[in-house]
Amino acid sequence: MWKQRSPGQSSFNDYNTFPLPQTQRVQPSYAHGPTFHTQQPLVTGTSVLGIKFDKGVMIAADNLASYGSLARFRDIQRLHPLGQHTLIGVAGDMSDYQWLQKELDALLREEDALALTDSHPSLSPKNIYQLLSNLFYARRSKMNPVWNAVLVGGWDKVKAESFLAYVDLLGTTYTAPTLATGFGAHLAQPLLREAYEAKAGIDGTGPLLTQEEAEKVLEDCMKVLFYRDARSINKFQIATITAEGSTISDSKSADTYWAFAEGLRGYGAQTQ
Amino acid sequence: MTSIGTGYDLSVSTYSPDGRLFQVEYATKAVEAAGVAVGLRCKDGIILGVERLLHSKLLVKGANRRIASLDEHIGMAGAGLLADGKHVARRGREEAASFRENYNSPVTVQILSDRISAYLQAYTCYGSVRPFGLSTILGGVDKTGPKLFCIEPSGVYYGYRAVAVGKGKALAKTELEKIVNKEVEGQTSLTVREAVSEIARIIYLVHDDNKDKDFELEMTWVCEESGNKHAPVPADLLAEAEAKAKAALEEGMEED
Amino acid sequence: MLSPSPSLSLLLSNLNEFRNSYDSDNTTFSPQGKLFQVEYALEAVKQGSAAIGVRSATHAVLLTLKRSTGELATYQKKLIRIDDHVGVAIAGLTSDARVLSNFMRQQAMRDRMTFGRAIPVGRIVQSIADRAQTNTQEYGRRPYGVGFLVIGQDETGPHLYEFSPAGTAFEYYAHSIGARSQSAKTYLEQNFESFESASLAELINHGLSALNDTLQQDKSLSVANTSVAIIGPADPAIEDIQHSAAARRGYFRVWENEGVDGLLRAWRRSRGEPEDGPQEEAAPDTAAAAGETTEGQQPSAEQAQTAEGSENAPPGAPAGGEDIDMEQH
Repeated sequence: MWKQRSPGQSSFNDYNTFPLPQTQRVQPSYAHGPTFHTQQPLVTGTSVLGIKFDKGVMIAADNLASYGSLARFRDIQRLHPLGQHTLIGVAGDMSDYQWLQKELDALLREEDALALTDSHPSLSPKNIYQLLSNLFYARRSKMNPVWNAVLVGGWDKVKAESFLAYVDLLGTTYTAPTLATGFGAHLAQPLLREAYEAKAGIDGTGPLLTQEEAEKVLEDCMKVLFYRDARSINKFQIATITAEGSTISDSKSADTYWAFAEGLRGYGAQTQ
Repeated sequence: MTSIGTGYDLSVSTYSPDGRLFQVEYATKAVEAAGVAVGLRCKDGIILGVERLLHSKLLVKGANRRIASLDEHIGMAGAGLLADGKHVARRGREEAASFRENYNSPVTVQILSDRISAYLQAYTCYGSVRPFGLSTILGGVDKTGPKLFCIEPSGVYYGYRAVAVGKGKALAKTELEKIVNKEVEGQTSLTVREAVSEIARIIYLVHDDNKDKDFELEMTWVCEESGNKHAPVPADLLAEAEAKAKAALEEGMEED
Repeated sequence: MLSPSPSLSLLLSNLNEFRNSYDSDNTTFSPQGKLFQVEYALEAVKQGSAAIGVRSATHAVLLTLKRSTGELATYQKKLIRIDDHVGVAIAGLTSDARVLSNFMRQQAMRDRMTFGRAIPVGRIVQSIADRAQTNTQEYGRRPYGVGFLVIGQDETGPHLYEFSPAGTAFEYYAHSIGARSQSAKTYLEQNFESFESASLAELINHGLSALNDTLQQDKSLSVANTSVAIIGPADPAIEDIQHSAAARRGYFRVWENEGVDGLLRAWRRSRGEPEDGPQEEAAPDTAAAAGETTEGQQPSAEQAQTAEGSENAPPGAPAGGEDIDMEQH
């Protein structure tokens, strides 16, 4: 899209005085200059948050898909279930996200179809995470990244424990009891950690948050993000994954307080 | 058989002088040796049943299933060469997935039948391959409602209210006709739930205890109760239907 | 060998100018809907020496009878490790087995790489069955001439499958393939109901008894001709876990030569036989028997094709083929 004329393509000399003599021959592909793949995301989603609680894991994301700084699509669900016990929350390029949904859904559909005959359980959260990690790393290595940051939340039925992990467009992977992408990594992650460690301790050996507590801290974080992240809106969903399966809440909003803004220059009635 | 020894029956790329493709006809013979497969279309869904013949008592109970899923909403029951059945099922899954990839929408049973039929037909055209020794029943619920099709080794396919293939299909068809006729005569048609015990009864009836090996009953459906997804008939319902089928069979014997 | 129906043979003899039959290529159905080339391939499996598979709720075990082509040859391996959680026993054409087991290893590695999971056992068996099916349908190919017993363990527990050149894969509680496997089958059918709850030691004993039934009259199981593969938690009482990391982890491991001695002794004890086994072992009668095949028929085909040789080779001969290094896994 932003492809520029590269020096190798030029049929003129540096001073554009005369055409250089050229022999007609099959040109090697590099002779056309470098190939550019995706250079930037277009329609984007912002932060995704994740936190483990005593019975599973929660993932939150707002409903906005921005076009640059324009709040273009405001009812986009960025939480996507993959089977009964896995769910992804996706930030970054929304068309890459939609492609990802289609691919993963097709894969899981095939697994389910085979399972009718051989009764083998479908892919676990860990399996799906491994696949995504491989995919994202392979694509970035081809200089053609899948432009997303993804949180994978799930319930591992074999180990009977919750699963939460992160992978992004560079193929970077890590896991932690609380996770956040994008702006959330700066604004929400400290709050999530604080709440998590208040009960579980720094080593995570204490009790985990209850479902209510986890939901409360996520809502608080979504509010903070709405206040400070200009690519967010106050309309978000929270997914909960437990041993019983995954559920995604209806869209909701946080109570916000804007009275302080009265004193701000350039806001409201005040013009000077 | 007049075909034998004429030399016109060795390849699908050769017609006999009277215009027949004997290799295709021989392929259908492979179907006739297989355990029966039955499909029934009800007003609220479809149901598939097969008589899974057990060639050894060392086989794991409930394993080695013959019914396959081609997509969330479409099931396939084959009768004939088992390995050919797996081949066609895999091809069917690929076709269904490719349709979704291209059109972002689930394939209808009719279109999937059409595509599989074209695939089977290609195997009747060339001397370098043999036809599939397989009759394929496809059943599912799509945007056009519950649909049932059966594809023959030749590639020909028709839509059905009820269909049976494999060993004893004639008897099974007679029984299925009774069910369908009731409906034609204006009586309320069966629901899939009611049909479960009917299909079980038919398969038990068709099974020849004296001649055949033991068998296991395998049944799947696509209906509202299964979320319009292709799924096994719930174990308790199946067990109940099997018990009823056995009872009905014994009753019938006493009458004889 | 199977032959076409009698009426057909009659017809063939009458038609000299049309030398046709339905068994010369794999793309031709017989008038009865049979594929003779596939059925002949199944015969190739029966030419191989026996392999037994048994399964309990916790373990799956393969037991095989190795052959050697003669005094100077090693015993042909019949057990192949595919992955930590899958292994196979073969009967039939060894070279075909290598192609298929190599394919299985690729499949297993692919699932490890992409999903980080141990490939479901049923799926990996189905993958070679699918390959075998194409070989029964396309001209210029031949069906594979080898049968597999596959054991494995996945999320749904231990499994035992049979793969056959017809392109089918069936799951069994217990099964046998290869030469005189029918005798073993008789034993298994009489006893398999107790396998589910059997201990590893009991399971192996059952397997060895079944394997023993496939032997010729004057032969016996020995450290030279018997190999056993196990999947499932190790039993230190009968397994030398010091020398097998795979055993310590419950992975696929093979016991043969001195490694299988303990298992054979335990089995003989359980039958009330002398622990050291019959004396035949000590005094090999090999000179005459070495070139002889088990079936006593078609020796050249047997040796050239199956490459599994005879069960009559000297018991001291070392096992050959590829080494399965226990310490590595």
